Amino acid sequence: MPLANKTEKSEGHVGEPLVRVEALRKSFGSLEVLKNINLDVMPKEVVTIIGASGSGKSTLLRCINLLETPDAGHVWFHGSDLAAEHVNVNRLREKIGMVFQSFNLFNNMNVLGNCTLAPVTLKKASKAEAEETAMRRLEEVGLADFAHADVNTLSGGQKQRVAIARALCMNPELMLFDEPTSALDPEIVGEVLGVMHDLAQQGMTMVVVTHEMEFAKSVSDRVVFMDNGVIAEEGTPKQIFGNPKQARTREFLARYLDD
Amino acid sequence: MSSENEEATAADAVAAAKQASSRGGRLRRLGKFVGGDHRYVLLSTSVIALIGIWLSMQKRTDMSFLAPVYFVEVAMYYSLVAWLILSAAALVTKLMHWRDYAERSPFARNPLRTIERIGSYIVVIITCVLFVDRVVMGFASVTVHAIEADSIPQGGLAAAIYMVYECRDLFVTGILTTVELAVFGTIIAFFLALLLATLRILTIDKPDNDLVRFFKVVGANFAKLYSTVIRGTPMMVQALIIYNAGFAFLRGMGLSVTEINGLWSTFIAGLVTVSINSTAYMMEVLRGGLESVDPGQMEAARSLGLSQWQAMVKVVFPQGIKYAVPGLSNELVINIKDSSVLSIIGVVELMFEARSVAGIYYRNLEVYLVAAVCYLILTMVATWLLNRLSRRLDAPRFSNTSESASAVGE
Repeated sequence: MPLANKTEKSEGHVGEPLVRVEALRKSFGSLEVLKNINLDVMPKEVVTIIGASGSGKSTLLRCINLLETPDAGHVWFHGSDLAAEHVNVNRLREKIGMVFQSFNLFNNMNVLGNCTLAPVTLKKASKAEAEETAMRRLEEVGLADFAHADVNTLSGGQKQRVAIARALCMNPELMLFDEPTSALDPEIVGEVLGVMHDLAQQGMTMVVVTHEMEFAKSVSDRVVFMDNGVIAEEGTPKQIFGNPKQARTREFLARYLDD
Repeated sequence: MSSENEEATAADAVAAAKQASSRGGRLRRLGKFVGGDHRYVLLSTSVIALIGIWLSMQKRTDMSFLAPVYFVEVAMYYSLVAWLILSAAALVTKLMHWRDYAERSPFARNPLRTIERIGSYIVVIITCVLFVDRVVMGFASVTVHAIEADSIPQGGLAAAIYMVYECRDLFVTGILTTVELAVFGTIIAFFLALLLATLRILTIDKPDNDLVRFFKVVGANFAKLYSTVIRGTPMMVQALIIYNAGFAFLRGMGLSVTEINGLWSTFIAGLVTVSINSTAYMMEVLRGGLESVDPGQMEAARSLGLSQWQAMVKVVFPQGIKYAVPGLSNELVINIKDSSVLSIIGVVELMFEARSVAGIYYRNLEVYLVAAVCYLILTMVATWLLNRLSRRLDAPRFSNTSESASAVGE
């Protein structure tokens, strides 16, 4: 990934969006979780989604790589609609990395195995090449020494960094982070946020669902505030944190700033 | 006992426990135990002494080695009685000095305490000698007489031994057939169950075309139906249906009865029955194991672009099967026992042979007790082997963990 110059941070991005979410709806039973969501993500943009629990943030994220099937609407990625019938989502998911709240490292492999499974199985690289890439990625997240460790012996912060390295081994164009630090102790949140910060600096397109307001403020190009299944407000961090227009946004942020 | 002494022994015990892993440590621990102070020694050895006295009052057989040296046994008998009297005296002093027994009673202090300890070992040795003389040599005597007998003896044990000896070939064939049925049946069933459990838990996936979707629906419903039908009918009925259905089918193809007996033997029919029956139960065990794998594992694999099948094979199966190992090994033990119903179609396994022997001598109870003991030994051996196997399966994981744990420490 070439190092991007982030000077035009707040001036907005030009060109085609990498992901376009259009009129997306999703219900679980009678509960309507997403009500008509529209969202564009430009290449190299970092978008954070904030909002209270149950507002539909994670569901929106999981709809982008089809871990949840939307009831209606479109998710355009590279010109193909992921929500259409019979689309080979497997091919498109190769380009969309995802990091989970609960890490979800494969328990039956060591760290290196976790990182090389997908590239080798999907024949993206030979075993030796995949291992070389994996070692480079692990180096980037500071865990090269743990390549042969059993994943169950790692700390939470180390696990999450391995999960990020594992996703990066597929050379994704988009990274989705689903509350990556919510399951971590406060004192090790920093090591994961640091890795994510570096990734943003390198120009990775990222959509991050988070409760870390400092991270949203400092790293993201755009903040999306979700409330009750709709996007209540979106704008630059300066706008959202400095001068929120909606009463609901103010209420939500006030609660976080109290803490 | 003084408190210093108590502390010392406690410390010794801890030290001994630490060394327990090595052979030398184990020996040293045994030495500590033998030389150590045992508070309740009188109570437990009194029970052992009573057993010894009871054994001594039993009739001697012709193989008893104590019969020629009668005076030795008399001495042993009265030693045991003396021990009981000593214990009773200790008990009385304990009742009299309930609170300060440890300080005041002569039984709790040297030299009497040392004598008690040595005496307790003598009591155990005497009882062991009496046990060998009466029980072991008695059994040997019965065995020798039963084997030499011309016709079946009256006594139950003698009759059982006589029948086992006379019909040893039948029992050996029966046991071997039972083991073959259980082992091969379980192995075949494992692979069939893996297939059916997979069919059952695969869900319709976005990239699937209509044909794949159709087969997934059919497969899942077939697996469900299979499990319901097989688990809902007795294995004995299944054996009769499978054997006769195969027979009728081959007959319909125009084969003669002798040709069919060569092709569709009762053993083959029995093996098919065990496999088909066990598949249904193993499928449920495997499904439970696969479903207990965290769904996040599947999601993570899918998010990297793996197909449902690739994620199953690489991530879910290796973890799920490990969870299912105890249930799967239990199925082998069940098959050893349940293959006994196959005697209904004439499979020459252990139960079939036991019934033949019972038919020869008209001694049903003894024969079936022998059969029960054989099954018990088989299942115990199988359980022991499977425990070792499952420990072996986990072993690389454990050693990996300790390796990487040390790596973390560095």
